[in-house]
Amino acid sequence: MIKDAQRFQPFSEKPITLISPSGDWTGRFELDLSDEQLLLFYRDMLRGRIVDERLRKLRYQGVTSFVAPSSGQEAAQIGIAHAFRVGFDWIYPYYRDTALVMAMGLPLVEFLGQMMGTRADTAKGRQMPAHPGSRELNMFTVASPIASHIAPAAGTAIAMKLRESGQTVITTFGDGATSEGDFHAGINFAGVKGAPIVFACQNNGYAISADYNHQTASESIAIKAKAYGMPGYLVDGMDVLASYYVMKQAVEQAREGIGPSLVELQVYRYGAHSTDDDDSIYRPREELDAWLKRDPLERFERFLKKRDLWDDATVEADREAIEAEIAAAVEQSEASGKVPFDWVFDDVLAEPTPHLLRQKGELDT
Amino acid sequence: MTKQTLIKTIARTLDEEMARDDRVVVLGQDVGKRGGVFLATENLFDKYGPDRVMDTPLSEAAIIGTAVGMATYGLRPVAEIQFADYVFPGFDQLVSQAAKLRYRSGAAFTAPMVVRMPSGGGVGGGHHHSQNPETHFVHTPGLKVVYPSGPLDARGLLLSAIRDEDPVVFMEPKRLYRSIREDIPDGEGEPIPFGKASIRARGDDVLLVSYGASMDETMKAHAELVDQGINATVIDLRSLMPWDEETVLNEAARIGRVVLVSEAVHTAGFMAEIAATIAEQVLDSLLAPPLRVSGFDTPYPYAQDRQYLPGPNRILRAVQRALDY
Repeated sequence: MIKDAQRFQPFSEKPITLISPSGDWTGRFELDLSDEQLLLFYRDMLRGRIVDERLRKLRYQGVTSFVAPSSGQEAAQIGIAHAFRVGFDWIYPYYRDTALVMAMGLPLVEFLGQMMGTRADTAKGRQMPAHPGSRELNMFTVASPIASHIAPAAGTAIAMKLRESGQTVITTFGDGATSEGDFHAGINFAGVKGAPIVFACQNNGYAISADYNHQTASESIAIKAKAYGMPGYLVDGMDVLASYYVMKQAVEQAREGIGPSLVELQVYRYGAHSTDDDDSIYRPREELDAWLKRDPLERFERFLKKRDLWDDATVEADREAIEAEIAAAVEQSEASGKVPFDWVFDDVLAEPTPHLLRQKGELDT
Repeated sequence: MTKQTLIKTIARTLDEEMARDDRVVVLGQDVGKRGGVFLATENLFDKYGPDRVMDTPLSEAAIIGTAVGMATYGLRPVAEIQFADYVFPGFDQLVSQAAKLRYRSGAAFTAPMVVRMPSGGGVGGGHHHSQNPETHFVHTPGLKVVYPSGPLDARGLLLSAIRDEDPVVFMEPKRLYRSIREDIPDGEGEPIPFGKASIRARGDDVLLVSYGASMDETMKAHAELVDQGINATVIDLRSLMPWDEETVLNEAARIGRVVLVSEAVHTAGFMAEIAATIAEQVLDSLLAPPLRVSGFDTPYPYAQDRQYLPGPNRILRAVQRALDY
């Protein structure tokens, strides 16, 4: 429970930040995370970074056909991942949430199965890579059409309120999504209903090549919350603790029945839009370099060092363990085997129509 | 037994399902205090309150989109789109989310929900209050599509729709809302399974196939045929996805002359699918090519509202052509 003195005010002019560039705690309240939790945050960020980098290599090796790079967005995603009750609350993620879904505990082999379209994919190889989901984790399966998950996310939150379940919905999306009608449809209705939901926008400044100024003339995304009758929080999404504490406040406000919020986490996409994109065409190298100097992992490393929590050997061991984990998961996913073709006929409807059964039968003749 | 209109039957069926199953909720524009612009949700707000009878913002994407999220969480939402013509802002939610959710998640998540939409012409509404967009939905794997033609069928089909595990597009022939009354038995209704057509008349000379609002015109044509001594078998498809191929093919093969009636736009309409299936499966038994009587390839007009509809005269001409072939 966040104490009143600790509460962040919405609509701040500058992004809420709790760690200075040099790694000092700048919060006006006492940090209440244990050393173990802080180290877990770092490890989750590291794991997100390494998995993302490894995925891109797998793309060039032809093991997967598509990757949506998430590097640069780890602080925001790990802050989000630790701010709600995984498996109790629901999350409606988007396709660039690698670090987030890993930190939630999505088994790496399932994630890789999805990336590779093998039997290890619980969704049976139906979608292109970077579209995970999990019933066990209440993680709504990602869909490609941008923002199309936001109205359903609002619907789940409205249902939770009706059921008085005490649960909350978190939905993530990028800056481009806020231009879609479904963003407006979902957030507007959630506002009307006071539904328990947090709209978490990871604003990385680009929707493929369209930069923020081509997306909106609004001074921020957070400020759009005002028009929906809810608080909007502008957060430095390269700061894992700011991301965590603001998200936690927003989740608790939703759970307490205070209502929904919009959280804008300002991040940067270090990679291209996807492994099929060339960002050098539209993005100045100097801009990327400037953001690389604000690397969320490095900032948190400085923070941990100042608190004497950093140990080179441990981090190196973690790095090796994560690499080994990935290698094992790739192997396991491959070993699970190819998805058989006739699975395409399953799960169209609960029971196949006679027409579909006939089409399936035509395969054999 | 009560003689009831279509609209009263729908309201009554929704009421009974809401009483039977507390997962059933209703949402849409004006469905609350107003009871819906056609009164399909009359009295439900007073009985079940604003949490289960939700007035929504004026946004079809919000109505259908939130219904998906409610359904996958465990509710049984029945969404109302005020006119089928207004479904398009919510079309992406139907096509990209509702229809594909089961498939794309490997059945981890599903969307058991109903989207009701008053459809069809003959109400002086012009092209934005008169369309029959069923083909769009039939062409989207993952949706079921139902289009009853009267109160009794609407009751049984709506019961099935609400209890179905998949998203169902439930089209209602709005010009018949108050013009047809049928005996509705008291007590619990009997669900009508999808994919089972109803044979409304039996004869050996010609087969008429139709569904939804056009059934009314088709039955009027049938009555005139009887006066002329021509005996038609008349099939009401009741549901389009799935559709009752077996009944249609059996009757088409037996009779050999087929006239297909739908007021939806002609080209690539649902009747093209039926005609193609008949040609593929029972061509040798045909005595004449399957003939379509349909709406024209124009937006639905306002001033020529009634003439646009494929009425009995056009149906009779097609029957004559089939008989003369």
